[in-house]
Amino acid sequence: MHNCNCENPLVPQIVEIVKIIDETPDVKTFHVRNENGVPFDVKPGQLAMVSLLPVGEGMFSVSWQEEKEHLQFAIRRVGLMTDELHSVGVGHKIGVRGPYGNGFPVEACQGKDMLFIAGGIGLAPLRSFIKYCLKHRADYGKIQVLYGARSYADLCFKDELFELWPKEKDTEVFTTLDRPEEGWDGHVGLIPSYLEELKPAPEGKVAVICGPPIMIKFALKSLEKMGYNDEQVITTLEMRMKCGIGKCGRCNIGSEYICLDGPVFNLAQLRKLPPEW
Amino acid sequence: MKVLNKNKLPAVFDKLAQQSELFVPLQKKEQSGFYSWKSFDQASDQLALDLLNVYLPPKQVLLPQTEKMYSFRQEEGGVAISEVYEESQARVIFGIRACDLQAINCLDQAFLTRGFVDEFYKARRDNTTIVASACYKPGANCFCSSMGVNPLEPAGADAIIRDTGTEYFIWEARTPAGEELSRQLAEFLEEKELPLPQSQAFERQVDMEGVAEKLSQVFSSPLWEELSDACQTCGICTYLCPSCYCFDIQVKNQGEAGYRFRCWDSCMYGEYTLMAGGHNPRASATERFRNRFLHKLEFFNERYGMPLCTGCGRCIIACPAGIDISKIITAAKEAEWSA
Repeated sequence: MHNCNCENPLVPQIVEIVKIIDETPDVKTFHVRNENGVPFDVKPGQLAMVSLLPVGEGMFSVSWQEEKEHLQFAIRRVGLMTDELHSVGVGHKIGVRGPYGNGFPVEACQGKDMLFIAGGIGLAPLRSFIKYCLKHRADYGKIQVLYGARSYADLCFKDELFELWPKEKDTEVFTTLDRPEEGWDGHVGLIPSYLEELKPAPEGKVAVICGPPIMIKFALKSLEKMGYNDEQVITTLEMRMKCGIGKCGRCNIGSEYICLDGPVFNLAQLRKLPPEW
Repeated sequence: MKVLNKNKLPAVFDKLAQQSELFVPLQKKEQSGFYSWKSFDQASDQLALDLLNVYLPPKQVLLPQTEKMYSFRQEEGGVAISEVYEESQARVIFGIRACDLQAINCLDQAFLTRGFVDEFYKARRDNTTIVASACYKPGANCFCSSMGVNPLEPAGADAIIRDTGTEYFIWEARTPAGEELSRQLAEFLEEKELPLPQSQAFERQVDMEGVAEKLSQVFSSPLWEELSDACQTCGICTYLCPSCYCFDIQVKNQGEAGYRFRCWDSCMYGEYTLMAGGHNPRASATERFRNRFLHKLEFFNERYGMPLCTGCGRCIIACPAGIDISKIITAAKEAEWSA
């Protein structure tokens, strides 16, 4: 009888939901831990399989590990399992296994200016990198966050966006909404066009991008136009996953498994893969 | 040399089955495959050591079509894991051919290497002893030799039997586990010098030279549409393939308790890559077809240094649309594909 089989990577550990934050009408952030704190250590950008028994399992980016205390998952309600997850309360026990994937190249980016570009729930994976940079502030240059959503209500992590991050040293947050909205006096328009307005110079910079496929596609074109080379642009991919350990087959793009070799790739690496991303 | 009298096989199997779960090729009415010797019914079943190839591959010995992973029970405010099912019972596969054994070598690569070990697979694999049957007469759809497999020297076997065409098999132990079988079977093994059987030529051959490299340049070729046109995406090729290992993980709930299990899946199905929210990176049959053949012939090769097709010929026999992987290899080789 195993209660927590840490040697078998396909068996989850049980954790408790200790806090739930309503981010948007369809996104909640769940803080989870077991009696000792985090079930495992996670690097920024790594994934974990969240298991709501008996409903299902789903792979999510860990949007932050708070010291040894808890893991945070910002999860959008989009299918059967996430719908059910949004209905449980604090104190509920769920399964979690991981960490999976390579994570962001936090060390290779040291000394660089950081440009984070995210759309909608795409900020969830980038947030772990942004918070990491802010925590190790001296290791990174200027930090810019460009974030957009359909409406004000759909912006995740509002507290950090509008209160916390802009107060950090040498840090700028640019927020945009797809459409004008009463009470919103900020920028209106899609992310790629805002990006071209802002024109952040490519010198000494790394751009990290995540969002809906269509936004990524156009933002990549904008970056290319502004002179960013393929090694300077990093993204994190999403595919359907069942195992998380490179065995079950479905998350491949070419010979790479997104769960294992990814989810983080730079554009130079992506261009070597078949165009299925 | 050591030889084994064919007439003693039932006694040999009874003996092996005392200490292990023994899997042998059986013809069971219309179906043939590797079945537990315990299930052998003298009235309706026949030993099928001669059959090329048994219809169902032996992969289910190591990767069952459905297997329980762990059970859980609902508790106040959540859930607890009750039991993890790792099957470590000793197993013997007797009479496997070189192609199917090479497929197991491929499964070993997928499940036991590259960072994570699949403990469910490993528990079975570590406790499995393999007696392979050397192939001297290839079948009409066999092309293992084209895929780098030597049918006379099955790679990875613990012991090998060779059919001399007489009442004897030659018996060769190849590993310590094979030597252990020789000791267990000492009472059945005789010393006798017999000539090795003559091997016959393959009717079907393909030239794999340069195919993986060529495929890597033709991902966007319109020829994939032509090749996949007849495919009904039924998935039979993946189910009968000895080296296809993709799986799904699902749950069975029974009131307050339940278990999670995994089962074979197929890359030919649309749901395979369908994400919550509706995005599907391989939504069309052509994309799935292309991914399957590229996985077999290019991607697996790139990752593990061997193709994921071992030339057993089952998919050629079973495909209702007549799709033939050996012809796809030839098409890849010969066509002037533009990227």
